[in-house]
Amino acid sequence: MVRQTFHHELTDLEQELIRMGALVEDQLRRAVRSLTEQDVVLAHQVIADDDRVDAMEMDIERRCLTLLALQQPLASDLRVVSTVLKIITDLERMADHAADIAKVTVRLNHEPLVKPLIDIPEMARVTSSMVRLALNAYIHRSIEEAMTMIRLDDAVDHLYARVFRELLEIMRSQPEAIGQGTYLLFVANYIERVADHATNLGEWVIYMVTGRRQELND
Amino acid sequence: MMKNAGRDVGGAPDIAVRQLSVWYNQMPALQNINLYLGAGQVMAIIGPSGCGKSTFLRVLNRMIERLPSVRVEGAVRIGHFDVFDDHVDVTGLRRAVGMVFQHPNPFPMTIFDNVAYGPRIFGIKSSAQLRKTVEDSLKQASLWDEVRGKMRRNAETLSGGQQQRLCIARALAVHPEVLLLDEPTASLDPVSSAKIEELIVQFKSHYTMIIVTHNLQQAARVSDVVAFFEQGRLIEMGYTQDIFTAPKEKRTEEFLTGRFD
Repeated sequence: MVRQTFHHELTDLEQELIRMGALVEDQLRRAVRSLTEQDVVLAHQVIADDDRVDAMEMDIERRCLTLLALQQPLASDLRVVSTVLKIITDLERMADHAADIAKVTVRLNHEPLVKPLIDIPEMARVTSSMVRLALNAYIHRSIEEAMTMIRLDDAVDHLYARVFRELLEIMRSQPEAIGQGTYLLFVANYIERVADHATNLGEWVIYMVTGRRQELND
Repeated sequence: MMKNAGRDVGGAPDIAVRQLSVWYNQMPALQNINLYLGAGQVMAIIGPSGCGKSTFLRVLNRMIERLPSVRVEGAVRIGHFDVFDDHVDVTGLRRAVGMVFQHPNPFPMTIFDNVAYGPRIFGIKSSAQLRKTVEDSLKQASLWDEVRGKMRRNAETLSGGQQQRLCIARALAVHPEVLLLDEPTASLDPVSSAKIEELIVQFKSHYTMIIVTHNLQQAARVSDVVAFFEQGRLIEMGYTQDIFTAPKEKRTEEFLTGRFD
């Protein structure tokens, strides 16, 4: 191993990426919990913690650019650094959506829910497992795990369509629920977007392993 | 593979190597090399020291024969030259295949005479014609503006980078079709190196070029295709972009990422 120092730095970088991913997954879970449990305090924590995600993104980005400039990585090393650079952008957007969901909790401010939330937490559960699977696929350099994760996006899309129809129906029959219904539609849309970003992670893992870019999310 | 990408390649020839093996005193230096380089393309050869890179270059213009106890097997074709055919015109081959070395090696004579050396050997006597050839070659090598009016100075008074461009001009003066560059910037400072690299890029499609370099970034910047040699074998050859982002062979990967002992 002639480039040990560089490879240690690369490993450190990847560990930091996984830490950022775990934080983002946690942000999503806590944001949705703040909504289902109407926990405004938790929601404020999620919103505040978004700064931590942003700081991690900046730090990882700086480290990637430093490695590119100083180490001129090639082949799989180059793919790792460029994959990390791309993935942190997706992770940062996912965290923004988590904060957006928490902001809805704050806006609703204990207003009684028009219906018990079932499909939205289910969407969030599938989506956060997608994030975890994507990170595992990254760690294991596994195309199969990435593909399995990407296929879960269909379930999220399916749930999203159902939530959309139900909320539309509620808003039609109860015009006083239009305000809250619209916020809940936003939430469903945020979660659906997070799942799309998760599929991007899977596509980047596949690129990192194979060197080929392919669009798998339609 | 490796055809030229729709470039007008003028007189630049393609190069085909088939089952090429070379031994020095029974020691294999190259083993069963097969490759094809399209006309007007630039190939970079990379690989660890002793992998056979320089031997390969020296096969192409039959310079290898000047070494004692060398045995060459296989076939090399450069355009219409069947390089190892008994009836090949070796003088014509060496005119067509120019070479530039790691250390600038100007002859101990004037700048003018250095560049005019080859054309004179090939029988050009008219001083007007020689002056034109020398000027054209120096312009092509981006040295003319720095040496015009100093033609009678000894070439050894030039800086290292200028000497290397003089050697390139000297190679160009006999109108070669192929340029072999053996670590042409290894002894130059970064600015001089950048000038040589810029020449290589400008020369693309006018000449078919093979550059041996230990500088991977340089190979990435100037070449169309990359060949990775290891222990006398061609491990992998492919488009530069593919080799440097996603090589197919594990050995190439290990070399490029420094994961080898």
